[in-house]
Amino acid sequence: MNNIEGKIWLFGDDINTDLMYPQVCYTLKEEEKPFYAMSANRPGWSKMVNHGDIIVAGRNFGTGSSRPAADNIKNLGISCVIAESINGLFLRNSVNSGFLALTVPGIVDAVDEGDLLYIDLKNNTVINKSNNKKINFKPLPQFLMDIIENGGIINILRNKGLLGWPL
Amino acid sequence: MNIIEKILRNHSVEDIPEVSPGDIVTVNVDRAIITDMAALHPEFINEPPVKPFDNNKIAVIFDHFVPPPNIEISNRINRLRKLVDLWNIRDFYDAGRGGISHVIAAEKGFLKPGSLIANTDSHTIAVGAFNTVGRGLGTPEIMNIIATGKTWFVTGDTIRVDLNGNMNSNASYRDVFFNIAGTTGDIPNNNIEFHGDGIKHITMDGRSSISTMCAEISAEFSVFPYDGVLKNYMDNINIYDYKAIEPDNNTHYYKTYDIDLNKIEPMIALPDRIINNIKPVSEINKTEISVAVVGSCANGRLSDLRDVSSVLKNHRVSRNVRFIVTPASQEIYNEALRLGYIDTIIKSDALVTNPTCGACLGGHMGVVGDGDTVISSTTRNFKGRMGSSRANIYLASAKTVAASAVKGYISGDLSE
Ligand code: SF4
Repeated sequence: MNNIEGKIWLFGDDINTDLMYPQVCYTLKEEEKPFYAMSANRPGWSKMVNHGDIIVAGRNFGTGSSRPAADNIKNLGISCVIAESINGLFLRNSVNSGFLALTVPGIVDAVDEGDLLYIDLKNNTVINKSNNKKINFKPLPQFLMDIIENGGIINILRNKGLLGWPL
Repeated sequence: MNIIEKILRNHSVEDIPEVSPGDIVTVNVDRAIITDMAALHPEFINEPPVKPFDNNKIAVIFDHFVPPPNIEISNRINRLRKLVDLWNIRDFYDAGRGGISHVIAAEKGFLKPGSLIANTDSHTIAVGAFNTVGRGLGTPEIMNIIATGKTWFVTGDTIRVDLNGNMNSNASYRDVFFNIAGTTGDIPNNNIEFHGDGIKHITMDGRSSISTMCAEISAEFSVFPYDGVLKNYMDNINIYDYKAIEPDNNTHYYKTYDIDLNKIEPMIALPDRIINNIKPVSEINKTEISVAVVGSCANGRLSDLRDVSSVLKNHRVSRNVRFIVTPASQEIYNEALRLGYIDTIIKSDALVTNPTCGACLGGHMGVVGDGDTVISSTTRNFKGRMGSSRANIYLASAKTVAASAVKGYISGDLSE
């Protein structure tokens, strides 16, 4: 997977799935869904996101339901989530959607909103290009990176011929 | 190894002697459960798995939108219904025949001690009450499980929580959970195992309420031991073909906490989150409410309806409050009818709905509006969870919700 560079949006602790993918999204058209992300806690935010931006957040990112929250912020153009800790279900959903979510303890104190962050996936370091702070992190197991690099589990199933026709 | 590690080891695809924290284990799944929510995931209804790994190990349970609240959802669920015929699914629970998936799974004997369960719903951790492991999974992942019968878990560190003593009559198992949440805080990627001399007093309803709510502290798995209470439950539903799991004698736990059940008092979660947001009800200033809800997989069970009915007996719901009561399953509904709970509840001006998730997810049957102040025994108080993001949602036990519905403001007890 290529290294990632993007501008930071900073969020707090316990950002939940219902904020990322509110109930109304379920029956919206695919292209409309991402704009509802964080509309309850940060109205107007989704319109300011540029392709490739990065979310940095505090503890327990993605707590909540199995809804496709990771998909929704991926479709908004977010390239990666980096948090102090990540809910297990959110991490699974990210991996299965081909979206990178990394646990990097200490990240919140090393960044301000708007900083430019560089994620070096070969050396497992994040570098804040705005203040030159550098943090090493424990990479995701290769097993999970392989699913991400294959574009997520649906892609893998489709390529194996395991998916069928519309109901 | 602890209970969770042993269950993972027993289900491992590869023959491995042991599982330890950090290990990624690929496992065979004993039972996969799909709910009506799958119909709302385009990837599922547009490109379903060609065929299931074993149609007798798959259950389809409609719960979130029973009955469907609008045309769009109705149409999508009709599409999902086709799968049941296509795959010849025996264990199908449609509207009027089932209830909330986690509750149905228990009633129908899918949760055999020692087994491993997959369900798309995030409160699948509920199965831990049955000495069983399971966690919520996303829809793409359940598609993988349906196609292959397998999934993977990263083994987390396990925290031991000892529940000791016996509970006071004014407290509920939901209050025990609040106490646990206040003690451990959020524990993403860690498991919980319950032990202690107080467990033998805790009913299956109580264990289910506690394990269900462990999703809210981001636990990976939360598991109770096998004992006489669980054995009785399984005997009553005529399930005997299982192998319960005990931890090894010398098991080392990552952390240990003691909870003294005698000290538990009614608690409440203030709006928007549970973590670091819980208080004793006695410390809450007078807070008027407009909506009260008792329901959900956590606390819409028979014992919760019993609590509601005993609080409401000879009382009426405050005229400023709409009180919605949703039994978690048809079986619970039926029992509550037989025992007279439903009669008491409706004669007190509360509204009883059919079994569904309903108000818990803000889907239907009690969607709340701007400015509503809600007290609910459901699982989540995230902003916007039950409808408007301009409603305030407090969470509490069914008993506290019922007392508050009568008073018109948050209250743990009618005598206060
Ligand atoms: S009752 Fe609520 S928490 Fe339980 S499965 Fe339904 S929506 Fe989820």
